[in-house]
Amino acid sequence: MSGPALDAAVDFAGIALRNPVLTASGTFGYGTEFAQFMDLRAIGGFVAKSLTLEPRTGNLPHRILETPAGMLNAIGLENVGVDAFVSKKLPRIPDGVPVIASVFGTAPDEYAEVCKRLTGVPKLAGLELNASCPHVKAGGIEFGQNPELLADLVRVARGATTLPLIVKLSPNVTSIAEMARVCEGEGADGLALINTLQALEIDLQTRRPALRNVLGGLSGPAIRPVALRMVFQAARAVTIPICGIGGIATGEDAVKFLLAGAHAVQVGTANYANPMAAREVAEGIAAYAAGHGFERVADLIGALETD
Amino acid sequence: MNEPLRIDAEVVGNADEGGANRRLRLAVPGWRGFAPGQFLMLSPGAVGAARRDDPLLPRPMAVYRESIDGGSPEIEVLYKVAGRGTALLADARPGDCVRVVGPLGQPFELPASGERAVLVGGGTGIASLYELAARARASARVDVLLGARSAGDLMGADDFEALGVGVQVATEDGSRGTRGLVTVLLDRALAEGGGGRVYACGPTPMMRAVAERARSAGWPTFVSLENPMACGFGVCLGCAVPLAGEGFALVCRDGPVFDADAVLWEELA
Repeated sequence: MSGPALDAAVDFAGIALRNPVLTASGTFGYGTEFAQFMDLRAIGGFVAKSLTLEPRTGNLPHRILETPAGMLNAIGLENVGVDAFVSKKLPRIPDGVPVIASVFGTAPDEYAEVCKRLTGVPKLAGLELNASCPHVKAGGIEFGQNPELLADLVRVARGATTLPLIVKLSPNVTSIAEMARVCEGEGADGLALINTLQALEIDLQTRRPALRNVLGGLSGPAIRPVALRMVFQAARAVTIPICGIGGIATGEDAVKFLLAGAHAVQVGTANYANPMAAREVAEGIAAYAAGHGFERVADLIGALETD
Repeated sequence: MNEPLRIDAEVVGNADEGGANRRLRLAVPGWRGFAPGQFLMLSPGAVGAARRDDPLLPRPMAVYRESIDGGSPEIEVLYKVAGRGTALLADARPGDCVRVVGPLGQPFELPASGERAVLVGGGTGIASLYELAARARASARVDVLLGARSAGDLMGADDFEALGVGVQVATEDGSRGTRGLVTVLLDRALAEGGGGRVYACGPTPMMRAVAERARSAGWPTFVSLENPMACGFGVCLGCAVPLAGEGFALVCRDGPVFDADAVLWEELA
């Protein structure tokens, strides 16, 4: 079809993206693993594996399990640590690829220290707080499951960085709208949702939990309608932009999140089976927009019609 | 080593090999070869207009062998129908496409010239050893020990025999070769003395038993491990294997081939 070229660019939390497709933390390594399959500049950017102050080695096997249209994982936040990320991983990322670092800790002070060490580092476009971490002093409840803990976390992180600050919300809550408002009130620049849904599977041969960690996080197409609902609700509760995550594997999946109010999306579990998934999602969004008469992908944002 | 490719590969053949065993032949344009022990991630079922969300994950499978002469490279995969994924794969017809990512992982180190190499394969693990036998036979003394539940379950024995290497078979029901586990054959080979190295691929308890026997005899042992994995290229971190020292290695990125002494067998899932 003819007409003006499609403008795929969006702004998310103050980060200019050439298209709205990011990749989800924990599913894209440190970016370098995917450079052998595609030009990283074909996507909007990526969110790196969550970083802690010190390196972590993760859980004993089994760590993952396939489930109906999805998978469980309990990796245990294995990562190289913030300093090795800055010195060894980031320099290998080509210029022109917005990198968002995911930050994780067991106490607000630890989050803050990681945020400080990442602030001012070249190539970093923003920080994403992983709020699905168990709060050690609060008995292991996730920061993102309690409005007071979440408010403390965002406040401390906000004070530790000048980078765009995105909070990745846990879906394991009664009211996602309340959690979204808490983050907005503490100065977050954007939200990313949803993280994995807490889940259990059992091995009938051994009559034990299928994962060594007992509980795991459910991801993949199985959670997509739940994620879409939560994005829809959060987008109506706050004015800061939202990045939609949850089972996105195609451009059409992604367009649904944009229509529900997301300014950008993250492709997660789909990267495993198809290392070119994120690029194909970006192409699919463009094809939908062009095919439906949109000149700007940004015009899809929040364009859901409800009566 | 060759960088992995993502290929939507056309099925050239998908033949019943007896029992639940099947032989998949794929046309893989752009394929630049693989090293013995490397593997693929193979998405179950045909790539088509309809999306497939279930089963979601690709399956790790050894590259059995390849033909890269001429203009249209092909690879073979031997597999056993054991679950939903492999049942779907068995439905793929010539002309269908299946998604392949590979070759992946660290290969076997070939034996030294003149060295004795004993290859021990159990069940579908046999498929990881064919190319090793094919490439090692020119310079090393290669013996292949194959184990299966019964003659009907045995994979690839004729292919190994066609290589001209020594092949011995053990079946649990005695329907082919020696009755019993493949470790019976290994005990005999080790008892001959003279030294050498052992390569093993099969069920984890088999590999552990092989490694213990070979260690007692003073033979270095290399195993090819299998673990559930979602990606195959070091990202999902699902396939971590605990090491005898400390920490973990990833089966997909650091393996699948490991020195048997490096692995903490007690904690292997």
